[in-house]
Amino acid sequence: MKVIFNIRRFDGEKDYWQSFAVPVFRGMTLLEGLFYIKENLDGSLAFRASCRMGVCGSCAVKVNGKPVLACETQISSVNSSKLDIEPIDNFRVIKDLVTDFEGFFRKHEAVKPYLIRNDDNYENPVELIQTPKQMKSYYTFSLCIKCGACYSVCPAAATRSDYLGPAAITAAWRFIADSRDEGKEERYEAVCGDNGVWRCHFAAECSEVCPKKVEPAKAVQKMRIRTALHAIKKVIL
Amino acid sequence: MDELEGMHTRRVLEPAAWILQMVSGLLLAALIAIHLYVTHFSTHDALAYENVVERFRDAGFKAIYTLLLLAVTFHAFNGVRAIVLDTDFGAKNRRAVNWLLMLLFVAAFAYGILLMSSV
Repeated sequence: MKVIFNIRRFDGEKDYWQSFAVPVFRGMTLLEGLFYIKENLDGSLAFRASCRMGVCGSCAVKVNGKPVLACETQISSVNSSKLDIEPIDNFRVIKDLVTDFEGFFRKHEAVKPYLIRNDDNYENPVELIQTPKQMKSYYTFSLCIKCGACYSVCPAAATRSDYLGPAAITAAWRFIADSRDEGKEERYEAVCGDNGVWRCHFAAECSEVCPKKVEPAKAVQKMRIRTALHAIKKVIL
Repeated sequence: MDELEGMHTRRVLEPAAWILQMVSGLLLAALIAIHLYVTHFSTHDALAYENVVERFRDAGFKAIYTLLLLAVTFHAFNGVRAIVLDTDFGAKNRRAVNWLLMLLFVAAFAYGILLMSSV
Protein backbone atom coordinates (compact mmCIF):
# COMPACT_ATOMS: atom_id res chain seq x y z
CA MET A 1 0.00 0.00 0.00
CA LYS A 2 1.23 3.47 -0.86
CA VAL A 3 0.43 6.69 0.95
CA ILE A 4 0.91 10.11 -0.62
CA PHE A 5 3.16 12.41 1.37
CA ASN A 6 2.19 15.89 0.20
CA ILE A 7 4.92 18.06 1.68
CA ARG A 8 5.03 21.84 1.86
CA ARG A 9 8.56 22.71 0.93
CA PHE A 10 10.57 25.90 1.19
CA ASP A 11 13.86 26.52 -0.59
CA GLY A 12 14.75 29.82 1.04
CA GLU A 13 12.87 31.90 -1.50
CA LYS A 14 9.56 30.30 -2.35
CA ASP A 15 7.35 27.62 -0.84
CA TYR A 16 5.57 24.97 -2.85
CA TRP A 17 3.88 21.60 -2.38
CA GLN A 18 5.47 18.39 -3.59
CA SER A 19 3.94 14.89 -3.48
CA PHE A 20 5.74 11.60 -2.92
CA ALA A 21 4.26 8.09 -3.03
CA VAL A 22 5.62 6.18 -0.04
CA PRO A 23 5.18 2.42 0.37
CA VAL A 24 4.07 1.88 3.95
CA PHE A 25 4.14 -1.15 6.19
CA ARG A 26 2.31 -1.90 9.40
CA GLY A 27 3.64 0.19 12.29
CA MET A 28 5.61 2.51 10.02
CA THR A 29 5.99 5.99 11.47
CA LEU A 30 5.78 9.32 9.75
CA LEU A 31 9.47 9.87 10.41
CA GLU A 32 10.33 6.59 8.69
CA GLY A 33 8.27 7.81 5.74
CA LEU A 34 10.25 11.04 5.63
CA PHE A 35 13.53 9.10 5.79
CA TYR A 36 12.28 6.86 2.96
CA ILE A 37 11.73 9.95 0.79
CA LYS A 38 15.14 11.40 1.67
CA GLU A 39 16.96 8.12 0.98
CA ASN A 40 15.04 6.99 -2.13
CA LEU A 41 13.10 9.81 -3.75
CA ASP A 42 14.55 13.24 -3.00
CA GLY A 43 17.74 13.70 -0.99
CA SER A 44 17.19 17.44 -0.75
CA LEU A 45 14.22 17.09 1.59
CA ALA A 46 15.07 18.74 4.92
CA PHE A 47 13.54 17.78 8.24
CA ARG A 48 14.77 17.60 11.81
CA ALA A 49 14.97 14.38 13.85
CA SER A 50 17.18 12.90 16.50
CA CYS A 51 16.09 10.35 19.12
CA ARG A 52 13.31 8.67 17.10
CA MET A 53 11.45 7.80 20.29
CA GLY A 54 9.50 10.89 21.33
CA VAL A 55 12.02 12.26 23.77
CA CYS A 56 14.10 14.92 22.06
CA GLY A 57 11.24 16.99 20.62
CA SER A 58 13.05 17.65 17.31
CA CYS A 59 10.63 16.21 14.78
CA ALA A 60 7.37 18.13 15.37
CA VAL A 61 5.59 18.71 12.05
CA LYS A 62 2.04 19.55 11.08
CA VAL A 63 0.13 16.64 9.56
CA ASN A 64 -3.29 17.29 8.07
CA GLY A 65 -3.46 20.51 10.08
CA LYS A 66 -2.40 19.11 13.44
CA PRO A 67 1.08 19.26 14.98
CA VAL A 68 2.48 15.85 15.90
CA LEU A 69 5.83 14.23 16.61
CA ALA A 70 6.79 12.49 13.36
CA CYS A 71 8.68 9.75 15.24
CA GLU A 72 5.80 8.60 17.38
CA THR A 73 2.97 8.99 14.88
CA GLN A 74 2.18 5.84 12.96
CA ILE A 75 1.03 6.53 9.41
CA SER A 76 -1.92 4.19 9.87
CA SER A 77 -3.12 6.21 12.89
CA VAL A 78 -3.64 9.31 10.71
CA ASN A 79 -6.23 7.25 8.81
CA SER A 80 -5.76 8.94 5.44
CA SER A 81 -4.23 7.89 2.12
CA LYS A 82 -2.89 11.42 1.63
CA LEU A 83 -0.93 13.29 4.26
CA ASP A 84 -0.45 17.04 4.04
CA ILE A 85 2.81 17.60 5.89
CA GLU A 86 3.91 21.12 6.78
CA PRO A 87 6.36 22.83 9.11
CA ILE A 88 4.74 23.83 12.41
CA ASP A 89 3.17 27.30 12.59
CA ASN A 90 4.39 30.38 14.48
CA PHE A 91 8.03 29.56 13.69
CA ARG A 92 10.17 30.95 10.89
CA VAL A 93 10.79 28.26 8.29
CA ILE A 94 14.45 27.71 7.44
CA LYS A 95 14.07 24.92 4.88
CA ASP A 96 11.22 22.54 4.11
CA LEU A 97 10.11 21.15 7.50
CA VAL A 98 12.95 22.70 9.50
CA THR A 99 11.98 25.72 11.59
CA ASP A 100 13.97 28.25 13.57
CA PHE A 101 13.76 27.57 17.34
CA GLU A 102 16.14 30.37 18.40
CA GLY A 103 13.38 32.70 19.67
CA PHE A 104 11.54 29.81 21.30
CA PHE A 105 14.59 28.86 23.35
CA ARG A 106 15.37 32.50 24.20
CA LYS A 107 11.92 32.74 25.75
CA HIS A 108 12.48 29.49 27.56
CA GLU A 109 15.77 30.79 28.89
CA ALA A 110 14.10 34.02 30.07
CA VAL A 111 12.02 32.20 32.72
CA LYS A 112 15.14 30.59 34.25
CA PRO A 113 14.13 26.95 33.81
CA TYR A 114 16.48 25.51 36.40
CA LEU A 115 16.46 24.98 40.16
CA ILE A 116 17.53 28.14 42.00
CA ARG A 117 18.83 27.68 45.54
CA ASN A 118 20.22 30.21 47.98
CA ASP A 119 22.41 27.60 49.62
CA ASP A 120 24.17 26.18 46.56
CA ASN A 121 27.25 24.41 47.73
CA TYR A 122 28.83 22.23 45.08
CA GLU A 123 31.67 21.09 47.35
CA ASN A 124 29.31 19.67 49.97
CA PRO A 125 26.09 18.89 48.15
CA VAL A 126 23.09 18.03 50.28
CA GLU A 127 20.11 15.91 49.37
CA LEU A 128 16.92 17.92 48.94
CA ILE A 129 14.14 15.84 50.44
CA GLN A 130 10.74 15.95 48.83
CA THR A 131 7.52 14.08 49.60
CA PRO A 132 5.70 12.21 46.80
CA LYS A 133 2.89 14.77 47.09
CA GLN A 134 5.33 17.65 46.59
CA MET A 135 6.80 15.93 43.55
CA LYS A 136 3.37 15.22 42.10
CA SER A 137 2.52 18.94 42.15
CA TYR A 138 4.99 19.67 39.32
CA TYR A 139 5.82 16.26 37.80
CA THR A 140 3.43 16.46 34.82
CA PHE A 141 4.83 19.86 33.84
CA SER A 142 8.39 18.53 33.94
CA LEU A 143 7.66 16.15 31.05
CA CYS A 144 7.89 18.90 28.40
CA ILE A 145 10.29 17.99 25.59
CA LYS A 146 10.30 21.49 24.00
CA CYS A 147 8.96 20.26 20.67
CA GLY A 148 7.14 23.56 20.08
CA ALA A 149 3.78 21.93 19.23
CA CYS A 150 1.98 24.01 21.89
CA TYR A 151 3.58 27.24 20.69
CA SER A 152 2.67 26.46 17.08
CA VAL A 153 -1.08 26.36 17.80
CA CYS A 154 -1.16 29.24 20.29
CA PRO A 155 -3.34 32.10 18.96
CA ALA A 156 -1.57 34.59 21.23
CA ALA A 157 1.85 33.58 19.87
CA ALA A 158 0.48 33.95 16.34
CA THR A 159 -0.40 37.63 16.80
CA ARG A 160 2.38 38.72 19.13
CA SER A 161 5.88 37.52 18.37
CA ASP A 162 7.40 38.33 21.78
CA TYR A 163 4.71 36.47 23.77
CA LEU A 164 6.54 33.99 26.01
CA GLY A 165 4.23 31.18 24.96
CA PRO A 166 2.85 28.10 26.69
CA ALA A 167 6.09 26.09 26.80
CA ALA A 168 8.15 28.79 28.54
CA ILE A 169 5.38 29.62 31.01
CA THR A 170 4.91 25.92 31.76
CA ALA A 171 8.64 25.68 32.46
CA ALA A 172 8.33 28.63 34.85
CA TRP A 173 5.41 26.99 36.63
CA ARG A 174 7.26 23.65 36.80
CA PHE A 175 9.91 25.31 39.00
CA ILE A 176 7.57 27.61 40.92
CA ALA A 177 5.55 24.55 41.96
CA ASP A 178 8.72 22.76 43.03
CA SER A 179 9.14 22.84 46.83
CA ARG A 180 12.95 22.85 46.49
CA ASP A 181 13.10 26.00 44.37
CA GLU A 182 13.92 29.41 45.82
CA GLY A 183 13.80 31.50 42.65
CA LYS A 184 10.09 32.21 42.53
CA GLU A 185 10.48 35.98 42.72
CA GLU A 186 12.65 36.09 39.59
CA ARG A 187 10.23 33.94 37.64
CA TYR A 188 7.17 35.94 38.66
CA GLU A 189 8.88 38.99 37.27
CA ALA A 190 9.81 37.20 34.07
CA VAL A 191 6.21 36.21 33.30
CA CYS A 192 4.53 39.33 34.74
CA GLY A 193 5.32 41.66 31.84
CA ASP A 194 2.78 42.46 29.15
CA ASN A 195 4.36 39.75 26.95
CA GLY A 196 3.80 37.20 29.71
CA VAL A 197 0.86 35.29 31.14
CA TRP A 198 -1.66 38.10 30.49
CA ARG A 199 -1.66 37.49 26.75
CA CYS A 200 -3.09 33.95 27.05
CA HIS A 201 -6.67 33.67 25.73
CA PHE A 202 -7.13 30.24 27.29
CA ALA A 203 -7.94 28.65 23.94
CA ALA A 204 -6.32 25.56 25.52
CA GLU A 205 -5.26 24.23 22.13
CA CYS A 206 -1.74 23.86 23.57
CA SER A 207 -2.96 21.15 25.93
CA GLU A 208 -4.93 19.55 23.13
CA VAL A 209 -1.88 19.00 20.88
CA CYS A 210 0.84 18.35 23.46
CA PRO A 211 2.35 14.93 22.61
CA LYS A 212 3.42 14.45 26.23
CA LYS A 213 0.08 15.51 27.79
CA VAL A 214 1.84 18.19 29.80
CA GLU A 215 -1.25 20.45 29.98
CA PRO A 216 0.43 23.80 29.31
CA ALA A 217 -2.97 25.60 29.43
CA LYS A 218 -3.40 24.48 33.04
CA ALA A 219 0.12 25.64 33.91
CA VAL A 220 -0.48 29.06 32.33
CA GLN A 221 -3.71 29.57 34.29
CA LYS A 222 -2.03 28.54 37.54
CA MET A 223 0.89 30.80 36.76
CA ARG A 224 -1.44 33.70 35.99
CA ILE A 225 -3.36 33.44 39.25
CA ARG A 226 -0.18 33.05 41.28
CA THR A 227 1.49 35.99 39.49
CA ALA A 228 -1.55 38.23 40.08
CA LEU A 229 -1.63 37.34 43.78
CA HIS A 230 2.09 37.94 44.02
CA ALA A 231 1.72 41.37 42.40
CA ILE A 232 -1.09 42.33 44.81
CA LYS A 233 0.97 41.17 47.77
CA LYS A 234 3.88 43.26 46.53
CA VAL A 235 1.73 46.38 46.39
CA ILE A 236 0.07 45.86 49.78
CA LEU A 237 3.12 44.74 51.77
CA MET B 1 14.99 39.41 20.12
CA ASP B 2 15.30 42.98 21.39
CA GLU B 3 11.65 42.85 22.36
CA LEU B 4 12.54 40.47 25.19
CA GLU B 5 14.72 43.07 26.85
CA GLY B 6 13.25 44.66 29.93
CA MET B 7 10.91 41.74 30.52
CA HIS B 8 12.33 41.22 34.00
CA THR B 9 11.14 44.57 35.31
CA ARG B 10 8.28 44.27 37.75
CA ARG B 11 5.03 45.58 36.39
CA VAL B 12 1.83 46.06 38.32
CA LEU B 13 -0.36 47.38 35.51
CA GLU B 14 -0.97 44.04 33.79
CA PRO B 15 -1.94 41.97 36.86
CA ALA B 16 -4.06 44.84 38.19
CA ALA B 17 -5.79 45.23 34.82
CA TRP B 18 -6.44 41.47 34.65
CA ILE B 19 -7.93 41.31 38.14
CA LEU B 20 -10.05 44.45 37.61
CA GLN B 21 -11.27 43.06 34.29
CA MET B 22 -12.62 40.01 36.11
CA VAL B 23 -14.06 42.08 38.97
CA SER B 24 -15.75 44.49 36.56
CA GLY B 25 -17.08 41.52 34.55
CA LEU B 26 -18.71 40.06 37.67
CA LEU B 27 -20.07 43.49 38.61
CA LEU B 28 -21.51 43.86 35.11
CA ALA B 29 -23.34 40.56 35.36
CA ALA B 30 -25.01 41.62 38.62
CA LEU B 31 -25.67 45.26 37.72
CA ILE B 32 -27.03 44.54 34.24
CA ALA B 33 -29.41 42.02 35.81
CA ILE B 34 -30.62 44.81 38.16
CA HIS B 35 -30.86 47.23 35.22
CA LEU B 36 -32.91 44.78 33.14
CA TYR B 37 -35.18 44.02 36.05
CA VAL B 38 -35.82 47.69 36.78
CA THR B 39 -36.35 48.75 33.16
CA HIS B 40 -38.26 45.74 31.80
CA PHE B 41 -39.77 43.65 34.58
CA SER B 42 -40.65 45.98 37.48
CA THR B 43 -43.38 48.07 35.81
CA HIS B 44 -44.79 48.47 32.30
CA ASP B 45 -43.81 52.14 31.93
CA ALA B 46 -40.39 52.09 33.58
CA LEU B 47 -38.80 53.70 30.53
CA ALA B 48 -41.18 56.68 30.46
CA TYR B 49 -39.18 59.90 30.82
CA GLU B 50 -40.85 61.01 34.06
CA ASN B 51 -40.18 57.61 35.64
CA VAL B 52 -36.53 57.72 34.62
CA VAL B 53 -36.21 61.20 36.16
CA GLU B 54 -38.01 59.99 39.27
CA ARG B 55 -35.64 57.04 39.68
CA PHE B 56 -32.60 59.22 39.28
CA ARG B 57 -33.71 61.32 42.27
CA ASP B 58 -32.96 58.31 44.44
CA ALA B 59 -29.34 58.40 45.67
CA GLY B 60 -29.08 54.60 45.92
CA PHE B 61 -30.25 54.15 42.36
CA LYS B 62 -27.82 56.80 41.16
CA ALA B 63 -25.00 55.05 42.99
CA ILE B 64 -25.87 51.73 41.31
CA TYR B 65 -25.86 53.35 37.87
CA THR B 66 -22.61 55.16 38.57
CA LEU B 67 -21.08 51.81 39.47
CA LEU B 68 -22.56 50.25 36.31
CA LEU B 69 -21.12 53.08 34.22
CA LEU B 70 -17.72 52.62 35.85
CA ALA B 71 -17.77 48.85 35.28
CA VAL B 72 -18.93 49.18 31.65
CA THR B 73 -16.41 51.83 30.65
CA PHE B 74 -13.50 50.13 32.40
CA HIS B 75 -14.37 46.68 31.08
CA ALA B 76 -14.80 47.93 27.51
CA PHE B 77 -11.67 50.05 27.24
CA ASN B 78 -9.48 47.66 29.17
CA GLY B 79 -10.73 44.90 26.87
CA VAL B 80 -9.81 46.92 23.80
CA ARG B 81 -6.41 47.64 25.38
CA ALA B 82 -5.82 43.91 25.86
CA ILE B 83 -6.83 43.16 22.26
CA VAL B 84 -4.47 45.82 20.88
CA LEU B 85 -1.65 44.60 23.14
CA ASP B 86 -2.18 41.10 21.74
CA THR B 87 -0.62 42.32 18.51
CA ASP B 88 2.93 43.27 17.54
CA PHE B 89 1.62 46.77 16.79
CA GLY B 90 0.36 47.03 20.37
CA ALA B 91 3.65 45.72 21.74
CA LYS B 92 5.62 48.34 19.82
CA ASN B 93 3.32 51.16 20.97
CA ARG B 94 2.54 49.83 24.45
CA ARG B 95 2.89 53.09 26.33
CA ALA B 96 0.75 55.04 23.84
CA VAL B 97 -1.90 52.31 23.82
CA ASN B 98 -2.08 52.26 27.62
CA TRP B 99 -2.38 56.04 27.90
CA LEU B 100 -4.82 56.44 25.04
CA LEU B 101 -7.21 53.76 26.29
CA MET B 102 -6.96 55.04 29.86
CA LEU B 103 -7.83 58.57 28.66
CA LEU B 104 -10.75 57.22 26.64
CA PHE B 105 -11.98 55.32 29.71
CA VAL B 106 -11.82 58.46 31.88
CA ALA B 107 -13.46 60.58 29.16
CA ALA B 108 -16.30 58.08 28.61
CA PHE B 109 -16.89 57.78 32.35
CA ALA B 110 -16.89 61.57 32.81
CA TYR B 111 -19.29 61.99 29.88
CA GLY B 112 -21.62 59.39 31.39
CA ILE B 113 -21.56 61.16 34.76
CA LEU B 114 -22.31 64.44 32.99
CA LEU B 115 -25.33 62.90 31.27
CA MET B 116 -26.55 61.34 34.50
CA SER B 117 -26.24 64.61 36.43
CA SER B 118 -28.20 66.47 33.74
CA VAL B 119 -31.26 64.19 34.15
